[in-house]
This record gives sequence, structure tokens and C-alpha cells, in this order.
Amino acid sequence: MASGQESSGTTLMDLITSDPATAASAAPSPAPAAAASTLGKPVTTDRKSKRATLTQIQNDTIAAAKALNPVRAIPQRQKKKPVSYAQLVRSIHELAATSDQKSSQKQLVQHVFPKLAVYNSVDPSVAPSLLMLHQQCEDRNVLRYVYYYLARILSDSGSQGLSPGGGIPTPNWDALADIDAVGGVTRADVIPRIVNQLTADATNADPEFHSRRLAALKALTSTSASSSEILEKLYEIVFGILEKVGDAKQKRRKGLFGKQGGDKESNTRSNLQYAALSALRRLPLDPGNPAFLHRAIQGISFADPVAVRHALAIISDVATRDPYSVAMALEKHIEHGGALHDILHLHDVLARVSLARLCHSLSRARALDERPDITSQFSSLLYQLLLDPSDRVCFEAILCVLGKFDNTERTEERAAGWIRLTREILKLPEAPSVTIKDTDNPTAKVNTVKPSSKAKRPQPLIKLVMRRLESSFRSFSRPVLHAAARVVQEMGKSRAAAYALGLYDVDEGIQLHAYSENAESLDSEFNSGSQSEGTRKTVPVSNGPGGMDTIAGLLASLLEVVRTTVACECVYVRAMVIKALIWMQNPHESLEELQSIIACELSDPAWPSALLNDILLTLHARFKATPDMAVTLLEIARIFATKVPGKIDADVLQLLWKTCLVGAGPEGKHTALEAVTIVLDLPPPHPGSMLGLTSVDRVSASDPKSALALQRLVQAAVWFLGENANYAASEYAWESATPPGTALMMLDADKMVAAASSRNPTLAGALTRLQRCAFSGSWEVRIIAAQALITIAIRSGEPYRLQIYEFLHALSLGGVQSQFSESQISNGEDQGASGTGLGSLISPMLKVLDEMYRAQDDLIRDMRNHDNNKQEWTDEELKKLYETHEKLLNLVSLFCYVPRAKYLPLGPTSAKLIEIYRNRHNISTSTGLNDPAVATGISDLVYGISELVYESKEAEKESDAIDPELAMAWAAGLEDGLWGKNAPAMEKVNEFLAGAGTDAPDVEEEENITSRPSVTYDDLWAKSILETYEAEEDDARSSGTSSPESTGSVETSISSHFGGMSYPSLFSSRPSGYGVSQNSEIRSGNNGRRFSNTSTGGPTLEGIGSPVREEPPSYSSSVLQRFESFENPLAGRGAQSFGSQDEDTGSHNPQFGKALYDFTAGGDDELSLTAGEEVEIDYEVDGWYYVKKKRPGRDGRMAGLVPVLYVSSS
Amino acid sequence: MILAVLFTNTDGNILVERYVPHLLPALDSFDSVNTFPPIPSFHGVPAEERLHWRSFLVKLGADNLKGTKNEELLVASHKSVFVVYTILGDVCIYVVGKDEYDELALAELIFVITSSVKDVCGKPPTERLFLDHYGKICLCLDEIIWKGMLENTDKDRIRRLIRLKAPTDA
Repeated sequence: MASGQESSGTTLMDLITSDPATAASAAPSPAPAAAASTLGKPVTTDRKSKRATLTQIQNDTIAAAKALNPVRAIPQRQKKKPVSYAQLVRSIHELAATSDQKSSQKQLVQHVFPKLAVYNSVDPSVAPSLLMLHQQCEDRNVLRYVYYYLARILSDSGSQGLSPGGGIPTPNWDALADIDAVGGVTRADVIPRIVNQLTADATNADPEFHSRRLAALKALTSTSASSSEILEKLYEIVFGILEKVGDAKQKRRKGLFGKQGGDKESNTRSNLQYAALSALRRLPLDPGNPAFLHRAIQGISFADPVAVRHALAIISDVATRDPYSVAMALEKHIEHGGALHDILHLHDVLARVSLARLCHSLSRARALDERPDITSQFSSLLYQLLLDPSDRVCFEAILCVLGKFDNTERTEERAAGWIRLTREILKLPEAPSVTIKDTDNPTAKVNTVKPSSKAKRPQPLIKLVMRRLESSFRSFSRPVLHAAARVVQEMGKSRAAAYALGLYDVDEGIQLHAYSENAESLDSEFNSGSQSEGTRKTVPVSNGPGGMDTIAGLLASLLEVVRTTVACECVYVRAMVIKALIWMQNPHESLEELQSIIACELSDPAWPSALLNDILLTLHARFKATPDMAVTLLEIARIFATKVPGKIDADVLQLLWKTCLVGAGPEGKHTALEAVTIVLDLPPPHPGSMLGLTSVDRVSASDPKSALALQRLVQAAVWFLGENANYAASEYAWESATPPGTALMMLDADKMVAAASSRNPTLAGALTRLQRCAFSGSWEVRIIAAQALITIAIRSGEPYRLQIYEFLHALSLGGVQSQFSESQISNGEDQGASGTGLGSLISPMLKVLDEMYRAQDDLIRDMRNHDNNKQEWTDEELKKLYETHEKLLNLVSLFCYVPRAKYLPLGPTSAKLIEIYRNRHNISTSTGLNDPAVATGISDLVYGISELVYESKEAEKESDAIDPELAMAWAAGLEDGLWGKNAPAMEKVNEFLAGAGTDAPDVEEEENITSRPSVTYDDLWAKSILETYEAEEDDARSSGTSSPESTGSVETSISSHFGGMSYPSLFSSRPSGYGVSQNSEIRSGNNGRRFSNTSTGGPTLEGIGSPVREEPPSYSSSVLQRFESFENPLAGRGAQSFGSQDEDTGSHNPQFGKALYDFTAGGDDELSLTAGEEVEIDYEVDGWYYVKKKRPGRDGRMAGLVPVLYVSSS
Repeated sequence: MILAVLFTNTDGNILVERYVPHLLPALDSFDSVNTFPPIPSFHGVPAEERLHWRSFLVKLGADNLKGTKNEELLVASHKSVFVVYTILGDVCIYVVGKDEYDELALAELIFVITSSVKDVCGKPPTERLFLDHYGKICLCLDEIIWKGMLENTDKDRIRRLIRLKAPTDA
């Protein structure tokens, strides 16, 4: 099915030739003709000497064809045998030679050419014969085909003329390739010849030749735009023709819809005008060329409607680049009764569409700010197009009014568009000559117009538009419905933009008008003057009873009609309607209706998954436009998760969760998290249950596949919860206000829970959900839930940690108990079914917590002892304490990321002592030797990954331009105020989505590469998701989430993403050459925030990525430096730490190493080495070690630089 | 830009296939950039893309065109690309476009195509009839769509042009 004729075994040629009548006459006939012609014709056709070469080529080709297909009898009695391409080509060669005979012409027109059309294109070897036909044949039908195929040859972009993919792939193409090689006819040979002959045609002014002239010009424009020579020639021809025919003052006759009767001369002129403009339209735009514009503007007055259409299209294109010149050139035409007004009545839809676009470009052009008279004329014309009888034109006009031109508009333009739509008034010009369409019935055909006095009354645009859309929504045509819904969607976008920018004074409106329904109503006192165009007066809309004539009223009635459209049987229309509704949804409006519509819709199994993901992406786009709507949108997304878990992409959903959580702002975070985790509260799906299809919370996973998908979603949600609960709750152990002592006293579980939930309901809620999942989910879910719990335990302060500890303890005991009770019958493999099955997973978690608590107890005891004895802490004691601290830190880091510089496993009270020890011993807060990533050998992976990182540099560069402010906000992690202050903070959100992510962004990207090298967002996007807005594609490209699958093991959970949190992972402690670390002596006493001060410049990861750092350095510069260091490993210190982390302990502890290879010094400062030699590594610079040897070597030197790779450090 | 025109019979066999040398959006994870060796392009459209689109359209027709009235227009969209399709006699017609060729412009286009096909064949064509007039239909298409743009819309005019006569009597 999919691949058409190939798979079914029947080729199109089979189909065509399967007709007995055709086959009988067609297939055999070429052969005899061929036999005759190949023998005699070369001589007889040699009538004109200039054709000699053509004939020669033709002969060669035929010979080649014969050589390759020696069996001449193939076509002969085999009626069902499909004609091969080679046979057809041969027939052409042969018939061309006898083209003066009627029978040959008939053969060509009836059999050969039509069948050749199956191949879509022909190869250059046919060209000589075609050109011969072109010269000799008089038959119009033959010639039409000749022009057709010549144009095809010209347009073939394949360099060798043969595009093997062209037409129907059959073995014949291979044979042809050989012919091509043997016959030696290449494109390069024939193209100039074709162009010459066609040019001769196109410049032939002979009236007899008129139609051929038009056809030749058309064929010529097929040339690919790459050949400047041919283009030059074409411009010359086109302008030559327009020179002759363009200037004539021609009045387009009224009565445009009938045939144009006219004298021969004017018809010829009109045809030439058409052909020339049509050709001009296909030529590359030449905006700077005044002749180009001049000719195009002349075209507006041409008689041929297609010519006018092309002229307008050209002008409209030029207008986007050079609005001023275009406006000046059009000055006469835009005047009342000018040619542009005539186009309103031109019977060509696309011409009027182009007119709308032209009017839009010119009325919005900055260059014309000085000429409000002109812009207002264009605006007025644009508004008149809103009354156009064609939906296509009317919708284009609406989109133009809304500021949607292509996909590149800025938010401001869209916002201005909404204001324009809601405030502008259409005032029809009072010209008796202009026929006025009935505004009350805009769909009335234009030729039934009757001027009515009512129609002349100024109408607010919004009202016209709403009525028009409502009537369109009653159409039966699906394209009309689809388009109307799309227009409503664009309306929603513009509206959202207006709200987002605060241009739209709706808020004032609400406060000022008690009748909040009318909040959006036009208010002339407010807006006149400021927004309306100079020439029009703004008048109140209230010319009808009730609230119908307020914008809110109009919108409500429109949306009512839109909603009924979901009854359309076409899912694409319904999808567009839902998208429109999502866009028209405002943050403060009730969500229920939309929710129930979507819930209803999703119960329909006809929805393709691509379309559903498309809608999810619409939610995403909607969120970007209005971050306030995060919670609303999450609610909607939830419906997708519950209704069609099998059809939506968990990654898309997670992306939405993540961005919404981030964008929800401080007060919305709780609700956002709730909305995500509501997925967890779902009852397990009931197979086959079809009850309550419309209920939002009902899971409809009736088949195993969707049940599985639902479970994946649940896993994703659990993982998401674990990673982001602390962020959402703004609860971090290293910021906890509660001293540990308090927690330890709250050992009573009930009190603890009460205290916990009163202090932070978000976190408490998340904990409750996770605990339930750890108990009752499927085994996979339980694993992830346990991991999520330990993550929260480690990151949260008391009493949450204790609460989780208690819970995990109970959980493991439960598991153990059940194992005991079933130990006789269980082989231990059905743990998932019997116990919790999590014992092995939980016990190390408990051990970590145990150790932490024990160490905390010890510390408190020691402190009390010291206090009691009024003793100072000795260095030895401090060292011991610090070692414990480091050890615990390493342990903790195995489970989840914590900021090493800030995290205090021994509790807040240890901070001071640790600080003292660090300062005293000049210990960097950075990871250095003790980094568990190094210790566990994870950092070894770095080498393997580095290449990948390097390769993906290009992609990462997208995120180069991170707003430093944003980076700071994210590095600081908790500065919710930023979101609050700048809400909607569109750009920031966009940047966030573009990869300036929640986490220190480049760190996360590396993580992505680390943990899921195969899945980038490009893949994700391309995979199954349909994207409506191309602009979004870029935005979302590099922002990543991880799939829950990656959390399957402890390792991956370490390297996994940290959702909405500003945590880099352990992995990112690798190369990270954040240039800042070079400022080696920067030390800041406050709060333990210190940059690396060791001479080896260990990566100051925390310096950059720590969520609690106060003054992050400029992000962009550091990122930049990082890239530089990747590009040139010798250029910066960044790379140096790359492979040498192990010995990054600072200048105070010089490293020892051994020379791996012999090295001969190449410069004065270099040092020769002998393999096996012991050296002491002093420091590293740009990929070189400065080493000292124990004794002088061959060169008599003791110390110098050696390449890093030549030394293995111990 | 009109991106593609596709004619199939009711079994989904391709009868006419025209792609315009401009990018159709990728239909799925197929990544044309990374393919090696490069897939030969067909009028600028990579072969594999073409196959994806072909199967996408044929499936669309198979799912929706059953029981549809002659010339009733159906619509679909993919990314920023619009598809309008219909059935005429035994022939399914699909057109794909983007930008100014939205659903409604494509509806105009498909109307021009169907009226020309009817004009050439004399009635809504059977598959046989369509194939018998195959060449003429291709010429019609050539007059209707030229370099990705809608050209002639008037069927009389098209009829004149495929006989190499001037669009208006000269």
C-alpha cells in the first residue's frame, strides 16, 4: 500500500499498457518505424546543415541504445509487456526523424509522449530528438509535448541530467544511465542548445508564432536559478516584451467574468503581458531594480487576471523588503478609484490574497511612518478585503489584521494586531462607482451586490470578523472549517500576545467596569486617538442590545460555534478546533468546558498519535505565550496522560511538566506539582471498562499497550516528582531553617508529619504520594519511588528526612518480614509480588541516612564536650571531622546530586568547623580528588564522551547566548522573584526552553549526552511529534528531559537530569573548564562560597552551578571559554583539568608521575624524558606539565615542560 | 508553495506524482541530513521523504475516502503543511501546500484540477479513462501548477493552452 506501484508489483506503465487497444497499437508500432528510420532517415533529414550535429548526436544515441538492447523484437507481439523507458526514447528518436508524416505525429501524441509522461522527466539524450521536432514539426499537439519535455530537461536539477529517483524507478533508468555514458549526451551538451532554440522562439514577434512564443517563454523559466547566464537572458526577454506591451494604456473592461472579447491586437498584447509577468514571477526577485518594480506595477492594470495576480504577488514580495519605494510607486493606484481598488473585484482569489498581503506590509511599514495618509489608505483597503466573498481572501485579511504575516512576527506585532482588530472601524468609501457588498451577509456572491445604505455604516472590524467566522463555521466544507479554526487560533495567539505585553488594558477595564463581562468591550474614550488610524474615527460598538456587541460577547458567541465544530468527523478539523480553543483560553477563565471537550475527544480512538502530540505542543506554545497558564495547561495535559497514555510521547509530556513547573512562579509551583502528580493518583486501569468515558480522571487504558504506556507515564511522574519536589517546595537541607536538634526531638511520628505538612504542604504532599507509590505501585514504579524518596530525604532538611527515614525503614522491614514468612516457598524472585521487593535497594539508602545521623550525633556530642570543657578544636579533630564530612558527601553524592560546597551532611552546625578547617588548609570546596565521580571511575567515561561533546558543540552553541541574568537566576535557583517580577517573562521562558534550562544549562546538556547520547531533542521532535509552529522547533531543540527509563539504576539516576532543579550532576564535574577557575586566588569568605584556589584549577563546578551561590559570574563568557577550550585544548586551562582531575590536588601536594614515552625537548623550556623516568609534576599549563626530575637527564636539565600525555601521573 | 500533487487509484497505486523542489517537512524520525550515502533526490525531494509522504497520503485516503462523495474535499495538516484531497471517479487526488497555499487555496487548486480532469476525460474518470488521457492530464497539470505556484485556473483557458493555443484568442 505504502509504496504504491512498487509493492503491488504493478507499475503504472503496466496499468497504462494493459489496455488491449492501446497496447496492440502502441507497443508494436514503434519498432517498424524505427527500423525504417534508423536506416534511411539520417540522410534524408539532413536538409539543413545546422541540424547536422543534432542528427549526429541522435544517431549516436540510437546506436548506443541498440547496442545496449540488441533484441529489437521485444515490443513486438507482447501485448501485455509494459513499454520500457528505453523503448519510448527510441521511438522518439525514430519518430522525430519522420516527424513530417502524419502517422508519426499521431504516434507521438497518442502513445509515445503520454507514456513517457509516466516517467515524469526525461534524460538529456532525448533532447536532440525533441529539438529536432521543435524545429521541424508543425503539429501543435506534438509541439506542446515538446515544450513540456524540454522544460523538464531544463528544470532537472540533477547534475548529470539523470535523477535515478525520478519518475517510476525501473531498471530502465539504469540502462539509461549507460546510454548516457555511451551516447555521451549530457545536460551540459544539450542545455545551451535548448536554451538557444527556446530563446529564439520567445523573441520571435511573428504573429503566427504567438502561442509558441508564450510556450517557449514558459519552458525557459523552468531553468534552475543557478545559471546566471540563462537568467540574464530571461530577464532580457521578459523586459523586452514588457517594454513593448507593458506601457500601452489599457483599461480593463468591466464585465470581467465573461470572456474577453476584443480585437486581435489587444488579445495578443494581453497574452504577452501574461506570459511575461508569469515568467517574471518565477525569476528571482530583484528588489533594488526600479525597472523590476516598475514593470510589476504596470502589471496591476493588465487585462489578464493571472498577470495581475503575478504582478501583485511580485509587488507584495518587494514590499516586504522595500516598502517605501513600493508605496511611492503605488501612490496613484491606491488613490480612490485606482487600479488597486479595481482588484477588489478581480475574479482571481490569489490576486486578492496578494493584495491583502501587500496592504498589510505597506500599512505596517516603519519606513512609511512619515506618510500616514498612504498607510491609512492601505489599511482601509485591507479592511475592505474583510468583506471579500472568498473565504480565502477574507481569512488572509483577518490574519493580516491580526499581524500574522509569516511565522516570524514578533510578539509586539501580534499584540498590535489584536488591538487593531478590536478597535479599528471599517468605513467604506462612499463612492458611487464602487459596488458595495452586503455587509450583513458577507458570504453573498459578489455579483449579487446591491448597494444598501446600511452597509455603508461604519462597522467595527471585530464584529465583521466574528460574523464572518461564525458563518464560516456553519460551512460543510472541511477546508473552510479547518481554515476558520486556524484563524481563530491565530486570533488567540494575537490576543495572548496583547495580554502578555500588557498593551491591552483589559485589567483596567475590569476594574473600571463593574460588568466584568464587558471587560473587553471597546471603549472609545480610552482608545481613540492613541490606537486608531488618523483618518478613521473610533466609535463605540454598542449598537445592539445586550452584551452581544462587546468583544467578550462576540467572542463568547464565536467560541460557542467553534465548540460545536468538534462534531466534525474529521480529526484534523477537530484538532485545529481544540488548538483554537486552547489559544483562546485565558488564564482567568473557567477551564471546565475545554477540559470536557478534550476529554470527550480523546475517547475517540480515531485520533492519530501524531496529532495528539501536536496538541500537546500547542499547550507548550500556549504556555510560552502566557506562563501564567502553567497550571491550567498542566490540567489539560493531564487529560492526555490519563486518556490516551499510549498515544502520547512521555518525553513531550515531561518537557511540558518541566517547563510549566518552572514557569508557574512561586505561588503556582505547588499547584503545578500537584497537577503533574495527579497522574499518580489514578486508579489502575480497568481493562475493557468503557464506563465514564467523559470523566476526566478516568483512565482509559483498555489495552495492554496503553496500560504499559500509562505505567511509563506514572514512572515518569514519580521520577519527576522526586527530582523536582524540593524545587517546587523551595525546601533544601542546606537552607533549612530548622536546626537538627529540633528534628531529633520530634521523634513522635504523628507530630512529625503534622509539623512537616504545616511547614511545607507541597513537600509533604509529594512525600505522601511517593510513599503511596513505593507501597502500591508496580515494581518498576516502586523502585523509582524509593529512589525519589531518598533523593528528597537527602536534599530536604528535617523533619522530612527523618520522616522518609522512618518510612524507608518500615518499608525495608516489611520487605524483610515478608521474605521471612515466605522464605520456604519463595525462591526470592517473586519479591515484586510478595514483599515490596525493595530491600536490596533500600538498605544502602538507609545506611547512608544512618551514617549521617550517627555522624550528626557524634558531632553534637563532640561539640558539647568542647563547649563544656571550653576547649578549642584541635587540627586533628577538625581533620577527622572534615574527613567524615567528605566521606558522607561522597556517599550522598552516589544517590543524587547535592551542591558539594553547600551541602552539610553533618548538619548546619558543622558549617563553621568545616569552614575553619578548609580555610586553614586551603582546601577547595570543589570536588578534586575526593570526587566520587573520580573515585568510582565514572570520570573515566569522560574521555569517551568528550568527542561526543565536541561533536555536539555546534548544537550546544545554540545556547551560547544565554542571558546572563537568566543564568544567574537559574544558577541561584531559588530566585523565584525573577519569575514573579518579570512575568510573563516571555523571553526568559523562551530562552529557558531553548536550553538555557532549569539547570546550569550546558551542564545539563552534557548530562544529556552522557546519559542518553542517542536521544537529542532533534530526534525527539522529529520522531513522532508534529509541530505546528516552525519557530518553536528551534526553541525546544536543546532543552531536554530524561526519560524515566534512565532512572533504572543507581548509576543512571546519578547522571540523570535534575528536572527543574538547578543542579548540575556529578558528571559535570569533569572537563567543565569554566574559565573562572583561573582566578586562582579568588576567595570569598562569605558563607563558604569560594572559587577554586588551587593552582591546578580544579573545576569550580559549584561556583557556577550551585543553586545557592550569590554572585555567579557571567555565564555567557564562561560558556564561551569552555567552547574555546574544547576547540583548542592547548588554549586554556579548561581542558587541562579534563584528563588530569585525579591529580588536581593543588600546588601544595605535588604529584608524582612516570614518563610513559621518550620525549625530546623541542624548545628551551621543554624537558627531555626517558620512558620510565620518575618525575614530580609541579603544575599543568595548556596541556603541558611542568615537571621536575630527580636528576638531570640527557640534556642536563632538571625541570621543564613535557606534554601531559607523555606522563602518567600516579 | 504547492509542494506536491498526487493521483492514485482507489487501491493506492500512484498514477501521477509531482513534487515541487522545495522542502516537505519530515514526516517522522527519518533524518535526511545524516543519510549516507545520500539518497538521490527527485526534484529536490529526497526519495525516502517522497516515500514517506506518499504513504502518508495514501493512508490518509485509505482511511477517509471510503464512501466520500465525488469531489467532496477532505483536509489534513502536518506541521505547517496542508493537505487537501478528494476523490473523483476512481481517482484520488491529493494536493499538499504551505504558506499562501493553505487549505482554502488548495481547495481552489483541487477544484481546478478536478474540473480540468473532467474536461479532458469528459466525465469523472474511471482508472482506465484516466490512463487513456494520461498525457493530456499531465499537460493540464503543467498549465495549472508551474514551479510550485498555481497558474491557470480557468478550464477553457487550460484547454486552449494544452493545445498550444494562446490563452486568449489571438
